Amino acid sequence: MGLLDRLSGLLGLKKKEVHVLCLGLDNSGKTTIINKLKPSNAQSQDIVPTIGFSIEKFKSSSLSFTVFDMSGQERYRNLWEHYYKEGQAIIFVIDSSDSLRMVVAKEELNTLLNHPDIKHRRIPILFFANKMDLRNAVTSVKVSQLLCLENIKDKPWHICASDAIKGEGLQEGVDWLQDQIQAVKT
Amino acid sequence: MAATSSLQADGDKGKSSEASSKWLNAVSDPMTNIHTFPACMALADLHGDGEYELVVGDLGPDGRQPRLKVLKGTVLRESPLPALPAAAVTFLMESHEPQTPAVAIASGPCVYMYKNLKPYFKFSLPPLPVNPLEQDVWNQAKEDRIDPLTLKEMLEGIREKAEVPLSVQSLRFLQVELSEMEAFVNQHKSKSIRRQTVITTMTTLKKNLADEDAVSCLVLGTESKELLVLDPKAFTILAKMSLPSVPVFLEVSGQFEVEFRLAAACRNGSVYMLRRDSKRPKYCIELSAQPVGLVLVHKVLVVGSNQDSLHGFTHKGKKLWTVQMPAAILAMNLLEQHSRGLQAVMAGLANREVRIYQDKALLNIIHTPEAVTSLCFGRFGREDNTLIMTTQGGGLIMKILKRTAVFGEGGGEADPLLSQPVKLNVPRKTRIYVDQTLREREAGTAMHRTFQADLYLLRLRAARAYVQALESSLSPVSVTAQEPLKLHAVVQGLGPTFKLTLHLQNTSTARPILGLVVCFLYNEVLYALPRAFFKVPLLVPGLNYPLETFVKSLSDKGISDIIKVLVLREGQSTPLLSAHINMPMSEGLAAA
Repeated sequence: MGLLDRLSGLLGLKKKEVHVLCLGLDNSGKTTIINKLKPSNAQSQDIVPTIGFSIEKFKSSSLSFTVFDMSGQERYRNLWEHYYKEGQAIIFVIDSSDSLRMVVAKEELNTLLNHPDIKHRRIPILFFANKMDLRNAVTSVKVSQLLCLENIKDKPWHICASDAIKGEGLQEGVDWLQDQIQAVKT
Repeated sequence: MAATSSLQADGDKGKSSEASSKWLNAVSDPMTNIHTFPACMALADLHGDGEYELVVGDLGPDGRQPRLKVLKGTVLRESPLPALPAAAVTFLMESHEPQTPAVAIASGPCVYMYKNLKPYFKFSLPPLPVNPLEQDVWNQAKEDRIDPLTLKEMLEGIREKAEVPLSVQSLRFLQVELSEMEAFVNQHKSKSIRRQTVITTMTTLKKNLADEDAVSCLVLGTESKELLVLDPKAFTILAKMSLPSVPVFLEVSGQFEVEFRLAAACRNGSVYMLRRDSKRPKYCIELSAQPVGLVLVHKVLVVGSNQDSLHGFTHKGKKLWTVQMPAAILAMNLLEQHSRGLQAVMAGLANREVRIYQDKALLNIIHTPEAVTSLCFGRFGREDNTLIMTTQGGGLIMKILKRTAVFGEGGGEADPLLSQPVKLNVPRKTRIYVDQTLREREAGTAMHRTFQADLYLLRLRAARAYVQALESSLSPVSVTAQEPLKLHAVVQGLGPTFKLTLHLQNTSTARPILGLVVCFLYNEVLYALPRAFFKVPLLVPGLNYPLETFVKSLSDKGISDIIKVLVLREGQSTPLLSAHINMPMSEGLAAA
């Protein structure tokens, strides 16, 4: 990796391609978050429950992301592991107003982290404590407590409170993700 | 929710690895205050947004404040109910709209329908026919032709003879006091008498499609031993079936317009099977005990009995299997996992376990902090496999079945007794024992002889002492056929004054004893008795007579002596029986 590459990256001439997996339970707001990260003219108006998965692209200041937007429905969750190899980063979305299924999210996160394709790779994980605008939502600190995020020692992680409909909190998360990916690269 | 999470952590540690590997603890809240039973719990998508809600007909903490509670996620909403609920079900009334199911709560003689959680319709059971004789009598009272007393007499006559039972009003009249009768008749005579029945159980039956979103009919079981099938829209009675006893649990399979089978567990300890077009039960299963739950699993009817066992029956009433439970069954319900096609029966037991059985095989045991009184499995919130339990203390426990969990046979642990053979507790013998046996082998003859001689002497001495005791009537129990008596004396107290109680009992079967006297013999220097000689009342056989006197210790030196008690017959000088009382040391002022 030369100085030239980084310079061109900074200038936005040639953006690096990064594959990101977007995971989370159904109805947590994965597709809405991805949609909001796309440029405003490319955003779709209606979001429907994802069937299987879809591939989306968006750009940050210096990286170009290819996102596997997976369906979070129970019957599609076994598809997730087929894409673990390609993922260079993970976005894990949590519905912070759904305290009932927090244990399910924790369980899915644990299976994800213990999967052989993920376990020994130091890939960054970005958590979105989504739906912060809802009245019965819990704080991102509480979410990280409930999911026992402090137990993740060998991977860089970050949790952001977000409201995917307004787009609040998304930029902060993506900036962190970009920094982490570049730190890994160099 | 803070308390919840800490509780969850505690629960995890105590759980066996088996249980924790299959279930996730979503909620464990001991303070929810839901007091209900399995028939009063239902899960449905009430708002049509894919979020399933739990509908509970709650009895209230003391069974006196009935409430309709709806749980969405972890948020509980409630509204008061007019009477205690007997059952709660959710069903689809019509198929044309974006469907939101209606909630039906059966309580008393009515079924209250709620749509979008708003009262929508009230169905009342048709009144039962009234006894014409009773009607006549009340009509006479209305025209003031008979007075309340004759009215009462006539009603009592009807109650004893007639086959149709009396109405509530007449029964109430028979209860009131003489003074209130006049007022009661004046108040009630203008009202027409009615006979109402009460719903005991309720379930749903698909009308003509077996789909999830098909229209269902309500099936009601009433206290008047009838089953009614209601039309989902018009709430007219589509079918009426009669049973020999009061139904308490109902299970239905099939569709109303095609073919259906109804199983009704009744209070007389029988389960009756009904088919389409049969007005009376076709088959009957007689259980040896009262049924506590009824669940239909695939084609097998599982009945829980109050003798702590589950029985499996076919639709024709043939017994397939029996499983014994370790404790009493408090609640039963069906566990249906659509994704794996699993149907099993859950049983909440009194020993704080929930056991899951598929036929005879134990699949899983869940340990709960409190005994579970109602349970329900299905889609709740957005999660397909949620198990909702309420405990005896009103707590709420929710568990989510893991996506990866598979129930296999052998989920239950093996019998602990089989794995651990019991060691016999045989005592060990030491050197001393071996030496002793050697000695016995050498000098066996001498030992035998000496022992026999000693035994002769022992018998002689025992007989001598016995004769002596008989002669002086020393024994406190007289066994002679004429005077069966028993005496024992008790001394109470510390001080210079003691309370001496004699317990005298006639031990004959049916012969009272008359004319007995009690006499105390004592050292007059040491003790003072107010009366040392008194008569005994007539002794009724079997009763224990406590006769008490006060003994005062006179000695100031702390000397104790024996007091003798003699029970004599009047006119005879030989005592019948006697007792010796060792008086305790006086600890009173006199002694000090």
